Amino acid sequence: MEDRSSEIVRDISQIKPLSPSAASLLDIASKEEHDLMDLVQIVKHDASLTAQVLKVVNSAAYGFDKEITAIDRAISFTGEDALVSLAMSEAAAMIYESDLAGYSGQKGDLWDHNLLTALGAKKVAEHAKSPLNGDVAFTCGLLHDFGKAIISGFLENTADKVIKALDSGKVADYATAEEKILGMDHCRAGFELAKHWQLPEPLPSVIRYHHEPHAAPEEYRALVYAVHLGDMLAMMSGKGTGADAMRYVLDNRYSDYIDLAENDLALIMMDIDSQFMKIKESMEG
Amino acid sequence: MVKTFALGSCVGVILIHPKSRVVGMVHVALPESSINPDKAKVKPGYFADTGIPALIQQMKGLGCTGSPKEMVAKIAGGANVMDSNNVFNIGKRNILAVKKILWGYGVSPRAEDVAGSISRTLTVNGKNGRVLLASPGKPDWRL
Repeated sequence: MEDRSSEIVRDISQIKPLSPSAASLLDIASKEEHDLMDLVQIVKHDASLTAQVLKVVNSAAYGFDKEITAIDRAISFTGEDALVSLAMSEAAAMIYESDLAGYSGQKGDLWDHNLLTALGAKKVAEHAKSPLNGDVAFTCGLLHDFGKAIISGFLENTADKVIKALDSGKVADYATAEEKILGMDHCRAGFELAKHWQLPEPLPSVIRYHHEPHAAPEEYRALVYAVHLGDMLAMMSGKGTGADAMRYVLDNRYSDYIDLAENDLALIMMDIDSQFMKIKESMEG
Repeated sequence: MVKTFALGSCVGVILIHPKSRVVGMVHVALPESSINPDKAKVKPGYFADTGIPALIQQMKGLGCTGSPKEMVAKIAGGANVMDSNNVFNIGKRNILAVKKILWGYGVSPRAEDVAGSISRTLTVNGKNGRVLLASPGKPDWRL
C-alpha cells in the first residue's frame, strides 16, 4: 500500500468552489424543514438555471401543449427532484463527467448511478420507522459517490487486480480495496470534497458513512441507511459505476431504522426505474 | 448483434432456434408480473413470466415455427449485492423465475452464468448464435 491520501486531499483543495446558487440550493435542500418556494427564489436569480428549468419543463417528457414561460409555474411541475438534479448536473459537471477510468467505468455512469441512488433513497425513506425527509434523502443520494471521481485517476489500472482480490476473498469489498491501495476510500474522498465545498450536514456525514451506516452519527443514521439501500438498489438495477458494481456489503442493521418487505424492493425498483427514465428524458431534451 | 448492458440483478435470456436460425433476447428485471399487471401489458419483457412468452411469440412471428422445445436457451445475470441475510435477493428470484418459465416450455438452459456479485453485459451474435459476456475489470468470456 502506498498512502496517497495527502496527495488526494491536495487535489481536492484545488477544485473550484460551487456556484453561489448551487451552494444556496444545497443549503436549503439539505434542511429537514424546507419549502419548494425557497428554492424558487434562488433559481429566479440565476439566469442560466432558469433557462435550464424552462427547457426541461417544455421538453417532450412533460408533454405540455402550451409553452411554460414563468419560472415558479415551471418549478411547480418539475418539483424539487428535477430542480436539484438540474442545478447539480450543471454545478458539479466536472465531477459527473468523469470517465471513471480507475473503475473501468464510462462517462455518464456516475450521474446515472447517483440519480438512481437518489430516487431509491427517497423511496426507501418512505419506509423509515421514524419520519424521514425524502427530499433530503434524494439530495444526499445525488452527491453520495462524488469521491469516486476524485480517486478514479489514482486507481487507474487497478480494477483487474481488485476484482481478483475480491474473487479470492482477500478483501471484503471495493471500498476496503480502495483504502488498501490509496490509504483513502471514495467515501472519505467525497467527505473531504464536502468539507472543501463547505456543504452543510447531513451531506458530509452521509457521503462519509454510506458504506458503513452503523458508524454514522445517530442523528443521521436513518438517512445514511436510506442512501446506503438506494445505492444497493441502483447497482442491482444495472446502474453501477464500473468494476465496483455489486461489490459492496449490505449492512443488514438497516432493519433497525427501515421496514422493508420483500415485495417492497421490487416495487421500489420498478418505480425508480420509471422516474429515472422521465428525468433523463426531460434533461436530455 | 443484440446486446444488453449491465444486468445487475436482472437476467438476460437468449433463445436460439437452430432450425430457423432465429435468435432472440429478453432482459428481465423482476420475476412476476402480478406486482403490476398494467406495466406488464406495456412492457412484458420487464417480468420473467410475461417476458419469455412474449419473446417466444415474437420469434414465432419471425418464422420460428415448431415446438419451443427445439430452442436452445442461455441465461446470464441475476447477481446480488453482498447480503448475508439474503433479503436483497431479487437476482436469485429472477433466476428461479426464468428457469421455471423455461421448464414450462420444456426448455432447460444449455448454458448459464448467473448469481454472484458481478454486473454482466451480454451479447449474442445473430449470425452464428455466439454469446459473449463482459464485466468491467475482467477479460470478456464465452457462454
